Amino acid sequence: MSVLEVGALWRKVGQAEILRGIDLTVEAGEAIGIIGPSGSGKSSLLRCIAGLDPIASGRVLVEGKPATPGDGAIGMVFQHFGLWPHLTARENVALALKLVRKLPRREADAKADAALARVGLAAQAGRKPAGLSGGQQQRVAIARTLAMEPRVLLFDEPTAALDPELTTEVLDVIRDLARAGTTMLVVSHEMGFIAGLSTRVMFLDHGQVVQVAPPKDMFGPGAEPRVKGFLKTYLDRVAWAQG
Amino acid sequence: MAVFYESLSAAARGLPVTLAIWLSAVAAGMALGFLVGAARFFAPRLLSAPLVAVVEVVRGTPFLVQCFLLYFGGPFIGIDLSPPVAGFVALSVYGAAYFSEVFRAGFMAVPPAQLEAARLLGLSRTQTVLRIMLPVMALGVLPALANLAVILIKETAVLSIITVPEFTFRMQAVGSASFAVVETTLVLALGYWALVEATAWAARRVEKRIERALAA
Repeated sequence: MSVLEVGALWRKVGQAEILRGIDLTVEAGEAIGIIGPSGSGKSSLLRCIAGLDPIASGRVLVEGKPATPGDGAIGMVFQHFGLWPHLTARENVALALKLVRKLPRREADAKADAALARVGLAAQAGRKPAGLSGGQQQRVAIARTLAMEPRVLLFDEPTAALDPELTTEVLDVIRDLARAGTTMLVVSHEMGFIAGLSTRVMFLDHGQVVQVAPPKDMFGPGAEPRVKGFLKTYLDRVAWAQG
Repeated sequence: MAVFYESLSAAARGLPVTLAIWLSAVAAGMALGFLVGAARFFAPRLLSAPLVAVVEVVRGTPFLVQCFLLYFGGPFIGIDLSPPVAGFVALSVYGAAYFSEVFRAGFMAVPPAQLEAARLLGLSRTQTVLRIMLPVMALGVLPALANLAVILIKETAVLSIITVPEFTFRMQAVGSASFAVVETTLVLALGYWALVEATAWAARRVEKRIERALAA
């Protein structure tokens, strides 16, 4: 059985059609990169899968069952981290383990420390978000999601708020997770990262899937004309920068 | 000199009444305001519409008029309260209308990602309010809460007209008996000002403490 099945998913806001019949089946251990222009529906797709935005029609199944927010099936990492500022890194990660999983305090803290160690932040467990860099904050957010052991992890432009150096440390963590077999969907404008990470890449435009293909096709001669046009702007910028 | 001693004794009897009604009304108003603010933020529009109406009526009429209606009009519909109790109830409801707006603004100011993260991680709505929203919005709403508390101190003076034996009521009695109206009014001004300053000082202490709790 596939881990995630999205079928004929439509999302509308008033008259606007944000997503128009998205189909996607994700197998265990896959990393799906989602690219496309701003406003194409990438973030909306993740939010609909997570259950944060209502869908007009269609289905989202996790291991064959409809997923609802909070049931632990889906974890999500946001562009703006969403860390709770009054809690330390450890408390951020441990809170849901205590309140939702009902783990005793010591067990929850140990599990939180293990999750923080996995993203390279064992030494920062006692710090509050204000005392962490943006990259560290995003890694805490990843650890917080990991600790709940979701079946699918969604990353919604996880590095869009970070400078290049901090971006690298976050992308390294996500890549390690993908290599360890975490099933994930990643929305990002970091094309090189998406190319290296993904088992398949999905290109969205105007709420529709233009192409789903392995990276070597999406970023190579096999790309649809619309995809080529989009990627050309990136390649042009690199060429321009190199003079 | 006699007026001076009479003023002192009037203040000594009136200020405790003012303080008791003010502190209890701030506490009750804040609690009620929090519930109304939370209901307006979370409940569907149909449920929050009556609350909106009540808040608008309370905010749209003078406190003096509300005191009159409750104290003199109340007995006609079976609400017969002593002056201090009527004063406490009126001030609590009046404060709650404004406190509810402060808390509603506080709820709205919590960054959405923090709430969506809580929802996806499985926290219940109550857990999210108590463990995430309240602490996160505390620093933001504190100045507005303190400001309201200060306004309510001064509104307690209005209770003198429904014969609550508070600070203003006592001082006016001394003033009209001795004809030393200006002197007694000056004492009144100084007394309220001292209370306001003490409140502002306490609020700054609390603010500092919250800031420390949020620091790295």
